[in-house]
Amino acid sequence: MALREGVGLLGGIGYTARDLATRARRRVTPQQETQLMVLTPDFDTRPVISFQHVHKTYPTGTEALRDVNLEVPQGDFLFLVGPSGAGKSTLVRLLIREEKPTRGKIFVDGIELGRMKRRKLPHYRRKVGLVFQDFKLLPNLTVYENVAFAMRVLGEPDHKVKARVAEALDTVSLSGKEQTYPANLSGGEQQRVAIARALVHAPRFIIADEPTGNLDPATAWEIMQLFLRINARGATVVMATHNREIVDLLRRRVIAIDAGQIARDDRSGRYHDDLAKPQVRAQ
Amino acid sequence: MTAQADITMILRNLKFALNSAWQSFWRNLAVSLAAVLSITLILILAGINLLVGHAFAQVLDGFRTKVSEISINVSDDTPLQTVYDFQAQLAADPRVVTVTFVTKDEALREFKSDPQNAILATQIEGNPLDAKLDVRVKNLNDVAAIDAMGRQWSGVDPTDPTNYQGDFVNRMLDLSEWLAIAGVALLIVLMIVSVVIVMNTIRTAVYHRRKEIEVMKLVGATEWFVRGPFVLEGIMTGLIAAAIALALLAVAYEPAVVQFKSDVGFIPLSYDPAFISSLARDLLIAGALLGAVGSYIGVRRYVRI
Repeated sequence: MALREGVGLLGGIGYTARDLATRARRRVTPQQETQLMVLTPDFDTRPVISFQHVHKTYPTGTEALRDVNLEVPQGDFLFLVGPSGAGKSTLVRLLIREEKPTRGKIFVDGIELGRMKRRKLPHYRRKVGLVFQDFKLLPNLTVYENVAFAMRVLGEPDHKVKARVAEALDTVSLSGKEQTYPANLSGGEQQRVAIARALVHAPRFIIADEPTGNLDPATAWEIMQLFLRINARGATVVMATHNREIVDLLRRRVIAIDAGQIARDDRSGRYHDDLAKPQVRAQ
Repeated sequence: MTAQADITMILRNLKFALNSAWQSFWRNLAVSLAAVLSITLILILAGINLLVGHAFAQVLDGFRTKVSEISINVSDDTPLQTVYDFQAQLAADPRVVTVTFVTKDEALREFKSDPQNAILATQIEGNPLDAKLDVRVKNLNDVAAIDAMGRQWSGVDPTDPTNYQGDFVNRMLDLSEWLAIAGVALLIVLMIVSVVIVMNTIRTAVYHRRKEIEVMKLVGATEWFVRGPFVLEGIMTGLIAAAIALALLAVAYEPAVVQFKSDVGFIPLSYDPAFISSLARDLLIAGALLGAVGSYIGVRRYVRI
C-alpha cells in the first residue's frame, strides 16, 4: 500500500511509484535513480519473472527451449522476437503454465510454476492478463458479457462486475459498444475487447502473444499505445511479436530467441541485431 | 473471507451454472434432443424391465401363496376330535400361518361353485370328496416338512394324502431366483450403455463449446466452475428423458396389461397403479444420476488444465 501512497506523493498522475522508477531507470543518471529509490523506499528489486536454466522438450522429441535464463523486473515492458518456431510460443506457454519445463525453474511473483499444484493454477491465471493474436472472444456473448465473463468465473458480485467492466471498457475506449457482438466489430476493436477482458481483474502481468498479428499497421499502433498505457500504470508486459516497426520504434527491452536459446537481450533494442548483420536481415 | 461471503459466492456460481446449463441446452438443441432421445429409450427399456420384473414378482407372489398352501385330506372314518387335535397341533407350529378345517360338505360346495367344474358337478352322485385341512405355511421352504407331517398323521386319507407337488415348488423357487438375477444383469447393461451414450453426447456439447472452456480456463476459472454447467446440463437431460419415458410407460402400462391378459390368460398378470409412483422415483433418480455421471466423465478430458 505504500506504493499507492507514493503515487499521491508524485502528484496523482495515475502512475505508481514503482512504475515511475522502472521508467526512470531507462534514461536516468545513477544519481537520479538513487533519488527515486529514496523516494520509494519499499522498491522491490527482485525480478517478478525469472527463468533459471529452463529446458523444454516436447514428447515428440522437439527441443523447443535450451537453457533459457531470464529475469524480468516488475513494471518492465519486454518484447520477445525471433523467427517462427524459435521458441517464443513455448516461452509464453510456459509462462501461463500451459506447459511445464522439462528442466530448470520458472518463478513468477515468487511462485515456482513447475511445482505449482493443479488446483492453484486458476488462482495464478487470475493474476495474469492474457491477450492473443486470435482474440479468443466468445462469439455468442456481447462485448460487455465477454469482458464480464472473466469476473463471473471468479464469482464476483454483480455491482463489482458492472463497475470494473465499465472501467475496463473505458480504458480501451469502447464505452458505448457494450451490447455489440464481436462479429460486428473491427479487428482492432475485437482486440481491444480482449485487452479489456485481460485488464478487468487488474492483473500484475500482461502476457500477449502476437497481439497485433491480425491487425493493419495503424490499428496495431493503436493497440500498442494501449499496452504502453497499461504498462505505465504499473503492469509488467511480456509481448511476443513479429512486428518489426513497432519494436524498432519503441526501443524497449528486446529478447531475441533463436533455435530455442536467447540470442540477444538488449535494454532498448531493435527487432534485428543491426550491428551484426544490418543489411541482410533488416531488408 | 467469511463463511457468509463464501456461501453467497457459491450461490452466485450455482446461479451462473444453472443459467449456463439452461442456455447451452437450448443453444445446442439438436445435440440436446439427441441425448434426451437416447436416454429416453434407455430409460424406457429400464422401465419395461422394472415393470416386467414387478409383474413377474406379482405373478410369483400369486404362485407362492398358492403353493405355500397345502391341503391335507382327511379319511372319512377319522373321528372329529382327532382332526381337531391335529389342527391345534398344526396351528401351534411356528412355521404355519393358518389352518382351516373344511368339511366334506363345504369341500363339495367349493368344488361346485367353481365354474370350471360346472359340467363335472352335474354328474357327481353323493360326495366323493374328502374333508381337508387347508394349511398355509409361512416360508415356501418349509412346505415339504409340513407335508411330511401330514402324511404321517393317523387320520390322513392314505389313497390321496395331500395335494403337495414338491417338484413344482422347487422349480418355482429356482425360476424366481433366475429371473431376479437376469433382471439385475439387464439393468446393469442398460446403465452402462446409457452412461456411454450420455458421455458421448455431452462430449459433443463440450466439443461445441471448447472455445468457451478454453477462455474460462485462461481467465482463471476453477475446474468445478467449468464442469458444473455441464454436469447440471447432464442432470437436466437425464431428468427430461426420465419424465418422457415415465409418461410413455404410464400411458402404455394399463393397455399392455389388458392386452397381455387377453392373449395369455393363464398368467395372472394385474395392473398395479401404485407401482407407477415407485417407478417414477426410480426413473427420475436414475436419469439424474446417469446424466451427472455421463457428463462428468465426458467433460473431464477437456476440463483438466
